[in-house]
Amino acid sequence: MKFSNLSIRLKLVVLLGASAAIALFISAVMSLVLTFVSVRDESLRHLQQTSDIAKDNLTATLAFRDNASAARMLGSLSTNRRILAAVIDDDDSLRFSEYVSPASAATQTRGYLAQVAALARAQRGQLFQQREGLASITWNYMFTVSPIVFDGKAIGTLTILSDNVELKDRLSTYIVMQLLFSVLTLVIIVLISIRLQRVFTTPIFRIIEVIREISQTKNYAVSVDTVQNDEFKALYVHFNDMIAEVRDRDATLSRLATTDPLTGLANRRHAMEVMQFMVSRARRKQESFGLVMLDIDHFKGVNDQYGHPVGDAVLKVVASILTHTAREIDLVARIGGEEFLVLCDKSDLQATHLIAERIRAAVELTDIAYGDEKSLRVTISGGVYAAVPETEILDLYLSRADSALYRAKEADRNKIVNWEKT
Amino acid sequence: MTYKWVLLVVALLAQLVAATAQASQEENRLMAVFLGRFASYIELPDRASKLFVITVIDENPFGSLLDDLYAGKVIGGKPVVIRYATKVEEVGQSDLLFITLVNPRARQDAIDYGAKHSILTVSTATGFAERGGIIQLDFLQQHTRIKINHAAALKSNIRIGAPLLSLASVIRGDAQ
Repeated sequence: MKFSNLSIRLKLVVLLGASAAIALFISAVMSLVLTFVSVRDESLRHLQQTSDIAKDNLTATLAFRDNASAARMLGSLSTNRRILAAVIDDDDSLRFSEYVSPASAATQTRGYLAQVAALARAQRGQLFQQREGLASITWNYMFTVSPIVFDGKAIGTLTILSDNVELKDRLSTYIVMQLLFSVLTLVIIVLISIRLQRVFTTPIFRIIEVIREISQTKNYAVSVDTVQNDEFKALYVHFNDMIAEVRDRDATLSRLATTDPLTGLANRRHAMEVMQFMVSRARRKQESFGLVMLDIDHFKGVNDQYGHPVGDAVLKVVASILTHTAREIDLVARIGGEEFLVLCDKSDLQATHLIAERIRAAVELTDIAYGDEKSLRVTISGGVYAAVPETEILDLYLSRADSALYRAKEADRNKIVNWEKT
Repeated sequence: MTYKWVLLVVALLAQLVAATAQASQEENRLMAVFLGRFASYIELPDRASKLFVITVIDENPFGSLLDDLYAGKVIGGKPVVIRYATKVEEVGQSDLLFITLVNPRARQDAIDYGAKHSILTVSTATGFAERGGIIQLDFLQQHTRIKINHAAALKSNIRIGAPLLSLASVIRGDAQ
């Protein structure tokens, strides 16, 4: 599985875990190196201390060439189980006295001694002229070679050879402890990572959830909020701004698609959609549904006599009257040049007629201002239809209202006429 | 045939003598070195002398070895001077007296002189330490043995360092 295909949750856990593992590894390696150096120096220091203590007494044995005492004193080093061998060489590099631990592999130990002796010979100047000791550690053993100084002159050397068992044991223990500690720490960090990843993923998933909701419901009224005050807060703010912009644009587009630009009333298409909804519901619930078709009388004459700007003003005033006179639950639409439609939800013939008559009267009594303090009046005719719909064919009801309107026009206009079955 | 045997014996004897002489020479060299080294492990009473005097009384087995070895050397901050005496009266103020006197009476006189004047007395004579000498050196098969009469040293107000005591056979009782 490719890393890029993992979920954000898993990526975060992997990244945090990997970061912690790398940090732990570097820390463990550094710590191991420092521990090795520290333990090595400490081991060599202990060996050097042993050598210094032994040297004080051994100086006299070499000074007076007392091999027996030297052997006895070197033999006392057997109390230290780690010491493989100790030898005294005189200033001619001849072996003066020697102790080889019976617990050690003698041949191997003598091999180590030979290696150290070769090194001591190579560093003779350091040992005898500068009277500085040698100390070093190898994979198999560690050693010190100290000059035996008498009256300011090096008269020989004391070599002490020790094994590395303690050093290796301590390092092994340290490595095991370090591994256990690292594994435990890693587990804790991964567990914490699993918890911490929510800090990052929860805000992301919240946004994804909202986007999915918007996608499904087309409801741009939703917004996301967070108590966090970080980059996610900024992301949320920008996301909410973007949604608000989409919401406004959607509303504008919707308004443009459903509204008549001159009068601000619903346009014909929107009126038909709403009418379809009203008819369907009224038919389903067996409720009465009413509609009024209105037409401004002699509107062509108004245009011809006063000009189109005044005609437009008349349309706006009539639209305003319709809006304010109809009920809030009614829909008022401009469906043609001077034609209007009022959809009266849950209204029987009497109620619908009453609304239409109220509109007609209001229009008749309204002075429509134009030019310099001039005004005119217009009248309006209307055809009313109301019933419990027996079909969802809208044209049927429109034609019935239109038929009633026609009869109102025929009856000298400024009238509201109900549709009657002929 | 007899002649050849004689020659062989003579040759062997010559070799033995040469080997013995060589061993003796090595012992003398070691003794000469040891005399100075003993001084490093002892503490003498304060003296007005600004020299560290090593006196060899009676026969000098070292030849010029001591003079060569200690020329320009300093012990306890004092330049070393080598003196040779044939009798106790010639010893004078010394710090270390190496006694080769064969005559037991004369040797005892030298020991007593050393004890009286806080001089470190050293000898290879058998029974030297038991008779009040402070350090007796024995060379046995190229191994050195040191015998110290600690009581005699204390009686002479001479302190001997622990490292030297740890090597030596120590006579702690009141000798003499």
